[in-house]
Amino acid sequence: MESLSAVVLAAGEGKRLRPLTRNRPKPMLPAATRPIIERVFDELIDAGITDITVVVGYCRDRVQSHFGPTYRNVALTYVGQDKQLGSGHALAAAQSAVDGPLLVVNGDQIVDREIIDDVVRAHESATAPATLGLLRRETVSGYGGVLLEPDAGLPADGRIVELVERPRDDRNYRLNAGVYAFEPTIFETIDETIPRAGEHSLTDAISHLVEEDDAAGPVQGVESDGLWVDATYPWDLLRVASELFDRDVPDRTTTADDLASVHETAVVREPVVVGDNCEIGPGAVVGPYTCLGENVTVGTNAVIERSVLDSQTRVRPNATVLECVTGQGVEIGAGTTIGGGPGDVRVGDRVFEDEDLGALLADRVSDGGDVTYVPGTIVGTAAEVSAGATVRGTVPAQTEVRS
Amino acid sequence: MCGIVGYVGDDGVLEVLMDGLSGLEYRGYDSAGIAMAESSISVHKRQGDISALEEALPDGSVEATAGIGHTRWSTHGPPSDANAHPHTDESGRVAVVHNGIIENYQQLRDDLEAAGHSFDSDTDTEVVPHLIAAARDDGADRESAFRRAIGRLEGSYAIAVVFSGSETVYAARNESPLVLGVGDDGHYLASDVPAFIEYTDRIIYLDDGEFARIDESTVVVTDTDGTVVDTSIETVEWDAEDAGKSGYDHYMLKEINEQPTAVRQCCGERVSELERTIDVDSLSALSVPERVQFVACGTSYHAALYGARLLRERGVPATAFLASEYDTATLPVDESTLVVGVTQSGETADTMGALRGANGAGATTLAVTNVVGSSAARTCDHVMYVRAGPEIGVAATKTFVSQQIALAMLACELTDEYDDDLVEALRDLPDKLQSILDSSSGREIAREYLEADAYFFIGRGYNAPVALEGALKMKEITYKHAEGFPAGELKHGPLALVTDRTPVFALVTAGSNPTKTIGNVKEVETRGGPVVAVTDGCDDVARYADHVLEVPETHSALAPVLGNVQLQLVSYWVANELGRSIDKPRNLAKSVTVE
Repeated sequence: MESLSAVVLAAGEGKRLRPLTRNRPKPMLPAATRPIIERVFDELIDAGITDITVVVGYCRDRVQSHFGPTYRNVALTYVGQDKQLGSGHALAAAQSAVDGPLLVVNGDQIVDREIIDDVVRAHESATAPATLGLLRRETVSGYGGVLLEPDAGLPADGRIVELVERPRDDRNYRLNAGVYAFEPTIFETIDETIPRAGEHSLTDAISHLVEEDDAAGPVQGVESDGLWVDATYPWDLLRVASELFDRDVPDRTTTADDLASVHETAVVREPVVVGDNCEIGPGAVVGPYTCLGENVTVGTNAVIERSVLDSQTRVRPNATVLECVTGQGVEIGAGTTIGGGPGDVRVGDRVFEDEDLGALLADRVSDGGDVTYVPGTIVGTAAEVSAGATVRGTVPAQTEVRS
Repeated sequence: MCGIVGYVGDDGVLEVLMDGLSGLEYRGYDSAGIAMAESSISVHKRQGDISALEEALPDGSVEATAGIGHTRWSTHGPPSDANAHPHTDESGRVAVVHNGIIENYQQLRDDLEAAGHSFDSDTDTEVVPHLIAAARDDGADRESAFRRAIGRLEGSYAIAVVFSGSETVYAARNESPLVLGVGDDGHYLASDVPAFIEYTDRIIYLDDGEFARIDESTVVVTDTDGTVVDTSIETVEWDAEDAGKSGYDHYMLKEINEQPTAVRQCCGERVSELERTIDVDSLSALSVPERVQFVACGTSYHAALYGARLLRERGVPATAFLASEYDTATLPVDESTLVVGVTQSGETADTMGALRGANGAGATTLAVTNVVGSSAARTCDHVMYVRAGPEIGVAATKTFVSQQIALAMLACELTDEYDDDLVEALRDLPDKLQSILDSSSGREIAREYLEADAYFFIGRGYNAPVALEGALKMKEITYKHAEGFPAGELKHGPLALVTDRTPVFALVTAGSNPTKTIGNVKEVETRGGPVVAVTDGCDDVARYADHVLEVPETHSALAPVLGNVQLQLVSYWVANELGRSIDKPRNLAKSVTVE
């Protein structure tokens, strides 16, 4: 276990999370108040990993300047993937930084240590070139599907016979949790695997391993019950936060945090997380299921429920904010109403009906007050909304919305 | 100007010393050396940085438990193997490392040479081992010989010494920094905490005129008379993790990217938007002085110019002085004067000299510094920390921003004159800085003007100090010619230098006389000079500029904080394209502890 290096893949943007990924990659989006990847680091460290390599690419400064050279006294080595040519290509970028068997996890999905432990244990007691963490889920469409065959000769739950991305048939797929243990030969395998449409995907490399089974030994899969949460769309950050609350995943709380200032007449309805240097004004009502990032200001008599407000967001007095996700540096004006879902959300040509989303405001959106956001509204970065306007649908970045 | 380190213990003296030197490299890096004491002393030293010394080290195990080390930034004598520390006497009985300047060394050296001592180096330091050897020859024991030698010195020093046949390190301090570390596996000394922070966070600060003796089991601090001084052990919070580049090519770029965090830390608990207050605990005891004099050097001086302006606007007569030019004999300084020393390290010799002068003249003194427990912090009556976190790159970046913010808060706290907009703007500042970092086109502009003959920087009002700072940054790390001027001065001379090969960076923001600055921009345009406007979009300056570096709108008094970041990025990328040694520019050191 101690000899295992971990590689965390954090180079991709996560395009489906736009517009929140305009200035940072998906791993840096908030799961409650802390970046998703920070929780991944936590689970790795709790599982005993002492050596973490992070593959960075898109907006890499944001990852590097947030964590610096170490996290919880574990050294972080950053390697750059200059062009995002797939997860296999990303892992290959880490080759020079690791030595021996390695654990690979995605930096943009919350995965708990139980899955990590299971994969590590199964890999250590076998001579497999790869061990994959799998989950039983009712539906795996949209994710990676894995077909498993029982194999009594393996410490894991079986040998993997096929990997299918976003499967459409109804065979008995397990969900690929994105937690892998590999022997160092994986780097050769990535090299040998023929890229598809210019992309070197890690699952293609694993499929390649599955095909040449005889030579390198079976690729094994291990099933876990641990927590696994992925945000596919930006409004999923609300669901991610509530799952963390419901599972009581430790985070800062209002009572424990003396760096925030909460007015004595403000009402905080747990569960709530309040970041450093937040200010909550007189008569404000915050919670339940609400996360306030660093330096968030909540003005007098404002109401915030079931929302994830990222750092430096300011809510002016008397605003009502329900089921809202904000990026950083957002300003919600005085008396503005974000009334909560359900609402229809439009992304490109697709319409997602009845999503529980009041509004999604990307980085540095500001409104002049008394604005009404129709449920399901998405506003792009740095858009400015005039006082009294009603906003609906999808507003592109840097536009001005007049009343 | 150097860093020294010493260690006695059983944790591998060679490794501890080399780690220590790495942690001090920011203090100088033109040569390095170590000495380890057993029955005889082994000295290894080399011109060049620490990797050159590493190659010169012996293979195999080291028996010694006591040693000293040094990283040098030349003052007396050029960088060379011979001038590198440690220095020894002729018989090799004693080895010495020293940071500071011995002012009477020529006289001492003449006397010693007359007495038959021969010298190997051009350094002032080499008199010390000879003085100690001479005292030993007279029969003095090791400690008395050390004390006697120190007693002969005039000037500034932090000195550490080892003797052959002894497992003790002796040290003394006067006007140069020196701290002791108390660990589980031995005892440490160094010019600065990062040298041994990975081994211990328990620190004893030495004061001027004190001596220390450390061996494996004890630390003894004495005064000039040899009386034992009661010392207190303090625990420092210094994240060893902050000493890594975390994926950036240079500390400078890392530190530029840390500015939103630095500002957040600087403002934390001091700025309250809902209470509408700016409240700095450590300043609450200060009342409005009759006059304020800032003393500072380099980048800190530019921050001081900004601070002085903010105070004058609030009706307090305030002037910024270059610390090396500050002379209490020629200035009105009395007990109703507040003298503010602005120094990142808190060890800058010029600033320390000015602050001591101010103390002597009866003024109230305030240190605005980044380093807790630094000499400035302990010398002054009051201290305000800028809380930027450790800065390793020689070119100051995040500490400048933090100094600007700290001085803005100082002006507000002292006079109680500020509006709600400023409070809100301070709270928004980290995100505005982040938005510049997210979107700056500094790199493209740097490439555009890589071949320039010179770079000029102009601005008025709040922006004038930033114009000076922009030029200083460019000089420091690119080695290109650069000058900054208050924009109105351009036509009084420097305009003669403007050609189509001299880009002019004009800071044009609301509240800093944009209309008049645009007039100066047009003067440049007429002479064919390319113009890069750093602007929040006011007065439509983009029409007259060849390129624009955008800054978000903010309170007019904080606009220079944002404009500066764009200029930092341009300098960084010019230097990067030119392949300069960005974190350790030639001839420069981070903390200048000589006058």
